[in-house]
Amino acid sequence: MLRYVIRRLLQAIPLLFFISIILFVLMQNMGDPLATLGGRQVTRSEDRQRLARQLGLDQPLYMQYLYWLVGNDWTKMDMDGDGVPETPGRRKGVLRGDFGVSLVAKKPVVQVIWDRLPNTLLLMGTTELVIIVGSLVIGMYSALRQYSFLDHLVTAISFIGYSMPIFFIALLSMYIFAVNFKRWGLPYLPTVGMFDPEVGKTPGQVALHMILPVFSLSFIYFAAYSRYIRSAMLEVLSQDYIRTARAKGLPRPTIIFVHALKNASLPIVTVVGLDLPFLLAGAIVTERIFAWPGMGRLFIDHVSRGDTPVVMGILMMIAVAVVVFQILTDIVYAWLDPRIRYE
Amino acid sequence: MKRSRVFLAVAVVIAALLLAACRPPATPTTPKVATFIWTQEFDVLNPLYTNMWFSSITQQIWNCWAWDFDDQNNPRPVLVKEMPSEENGGISPDGRVITLKLRDDIVWSDGQPITSEDFVFTYEMTMSPKNTVASTFPYDKLEKVEAPDAQTVVMTFKEPFAAWQATLWRGLLPAHILRPIFEKEGTIDNAEWNRAPTVGCGPFVFKEWESGSFARFVANDKYWLGRPKIDEIFIRFVPDDASQVAALKAGDGDLGTFIAYSDIPTLEQAGVKMIKVFSGYNEGWYFYLHPEKGHPALKDVKVRQAIALAFDRFSVCKDLLLGLTKPPATYWANTPWQDPTLEPWPYDPEQAKQLLDEAGWKDTNGDGVRDKDGVELVLTLGTTTREIRRDVQAVAQQQLAQVGIKLELANADSDIFFGSYGEGGPCATGQYDIFEYSTVTNYPDPDTADWLCSEIPSDENPTGVNWQAVCDEELDGLFKLQATQVNPTERQQTFHKITRLVYEKVYWLGVWEDPDIWAVGPRLKNVRLSGATPFFNIVEWELNQ
Repeated sequence: MLRYVIRRLLQAIPLLFFISIILFVLMQNMGDPLATLGGRQVTRSEDRQRLARQLGLDQPLYMQYLYWLVGNDWTKMDMDGDGVPETPGRRKGVLRGDFGVSLVAKKPVVQVIWDRLPNTLLLMGTTELVIIVGSLVIGMYSALRQYSFLDHLVTAISFIGYSMPIFFIALLSMYIFAVNFKRWGLPYLPTVGMFDPEVGKTPGQVALHMILPVFSLSFIYFAAYSRYIRSAMLEVLSQDYIRTARAKGLPRPTIIFVHALKNASLPIVTVVGLDLPFLLAGAIVTERIFAWPGMGRLFIDHVSRGDTPVVMGILMMIAVAVVVFQILTDIVYAWLDPRIRYE
Repeated sequence: MKRSRVFLAVAVVIAALLLAACRPPATPTTPKVATFIWTQEFDVLNPLYTNMWFSSITQQIWNCWAWDFDDQNNPRPVLVKEMPSEENGGISPDGRVITLKLRDDIVWSDGQPITSEDFVFTYEMTMSPKNTVASTFPYDKLEKVEAPDAQTVVMTFKEPFAAWQATLWRGLLPAHILRPIFEKEGTIDNAEWNRAPTVGCGPFVFKEWESGSFARFVANDKYWLGRPKIDEIFIRFVPDDASQVAALKAGDGDLGTFIAYSDIPTLEQAGVKMIKVFSGYNEGWYFYLHPEKGHPALKDVKVRQAIALAFDRFSVCKDLLLGLTKPPATYWANTPWQDPTLEPWPYDPEQAKQLLDEAGWKDTNGDGVRDKDGVELVLTLGTTTREIRRDVQAVAQQQLAQVGIKLELANADSDIFFGSYGEGGPCATGQYDIFEYSTVTNYPDPDTADWLCSEIPSDENPTGVNWQAVCDEELDGLFKLQATQVNPTERQQTFHKITRLVYEKVYWLGVWEDPDIWAVGPRLKNVRLSGATPFFNIVEWELNQ
């Protein structure tokens, strides 16, 4: 197993290198970071030319990529525009752990990402947990009580959620539980943000502000996950070894949770394994509507400003996460199904 | 039994959370916290490193300008004792030297006095090639900045610079904090102060900024114009417009801006006060008049006048913008720089037809579209993908068709639409005959380079900003003249000529006045807002809890 993991990691290196080149080239078509500098007016041509020179954006694309990859501390830059490079470069490059400095926020990319990552992990981790637990309950109940009234009802509700766009659920829930509940004099939920400034950023406040975004995100995923679980459980429950377990007189919970659920988990693990890396990317629409300071908003904000260092940092982080989580998924497969062996 | 216990536990948790949501009752010791909602997060706070509007207005909370502008756009001294003028000797007879006399009670929030050294340092940091500042304008117009004593700043310009009042000293750097960093690192690009300016000179002091979430500013006890009545400003970043409206209605925000016209009635119903503030923006049509590439019809002033008469912008303002605004007469509407006798072109389709006939554009082939010398009067009207602009396009298409002008509509995303000539931007490269958007000068200063002949974009000048390619010698001369007129009265006379010329020759056609719309929640009192420096009287704002 260890050799397998090491081999997969080594295989990932050229893959990530190739991905980085593709993404870097694509980023050059995402707009000019100097066009307006986020302002309401077009940047003066003198300032544009000066900044392009100072930030190295006037260099050929391959040189910009080289500086991003290995840094520019081995050469000098022409900061004063006299045509003679005089200022030693400061960047160390990605290979030495330096993802550069954000063109927009003027701070290291690693710090820019780190400022948001915990918020995203909190929101998306909680959401994934709610989705998995909720889907397990719904999926297992539907499988065990197939075609019952509650099975039909829960399936219908989950499909209503699946059919609705996230922005609609998010805004609808905000207007009902925050705006109208307050107007009607009922206990109400907050509209946006992570806490009430007059109370402070306490765990209770953060939990309260998470209710609506977690609800909105979970609602649309229940249907897909619970259907996977339902069909996998139905298939397993009709297997001979389940009948044997019943015939042996094993308690019903043991049959369901130890024998059936564990064997029905393989397809779920695949889906969750594919989803987990993208939890790091955040939920763009939900974060935007509920003003949650996560990775999704960070990505969109910096793409719209053509901030190549930050966008590259986020995309490479997700690429690495995809590779790592795929390896972890393979390891979990082997744990769940002893027949699976990696050489 | 077990199931009921689970339900009970869940109910208790939910009830506890909902109760926690209720805002605690205000007590005499509860700090007065006003919540502002910004739809964009500022990028950095150092005034030298950003062009963002939201950063610029936030700087007025924690940083200081040498002077700001009140709600009548009159300059109001903040760091200086009085505004320099020729009468008080602050401006030299040749207009090249301006002397500032600083107040002697001004201090940074850490107690250090603000002196002329801070002004010189701010100038040096702007012009240093080691710093990647957003713009060196207008400091690159200066020959030198000197500090003969702690309370005197002497600015010498290369040539008279009329726009100094609206462009200089919009923010100050603390030399005692940043100079050691510059001397050690050779740049202030990476200074912590750029994002956490714990030492400032505004009515509030920076306290905290959590990326993507919020920023806090607390009252500055040392502010020389009086301590603010509000204890804290909490700025929350809410990028979604609909969420901003919901938050304002729910009372989760006390101040918001960039409100859509369609949201105004519901906000007013919820007790939110709406304030329209003119900040120089006017939505209008630009006509592409390039001598070789422009449409032959548009080069005739009678055709442009006919378009102005045939396009009912009054209906646009009444029906599409709920009657909350009106068409501007010129690009400089709502400023003293516009000739006060000018009124928006009226809606008169019959006169439009007459002018088109006089210009020789007639429908000779009976297809409903006028033509001349084998050229059909078909024009491309381009704008961004913003919904209101698309609606206006549709209205204009119908109305101009009634006088025999066919409009073909085109739209592009903002980042493409506003691209320069070098980037292949559709306006700059002449892909549209008419294009619509709104922009602004260095408000409240009226100067703009948009009509200068030297700014017509080309292969040799790919970043030129005169996208409509207008080169009118008289207009060009007037624009160059006003840029050097430091006497406000003389400059105003020049601008009255400019505005009349642009109006009569229809080099620009106003569609709607585009003020900044602010939403002020019921808790905030004494709020007055200025177009150039919105928070000029923030120390007087009150918060009812």
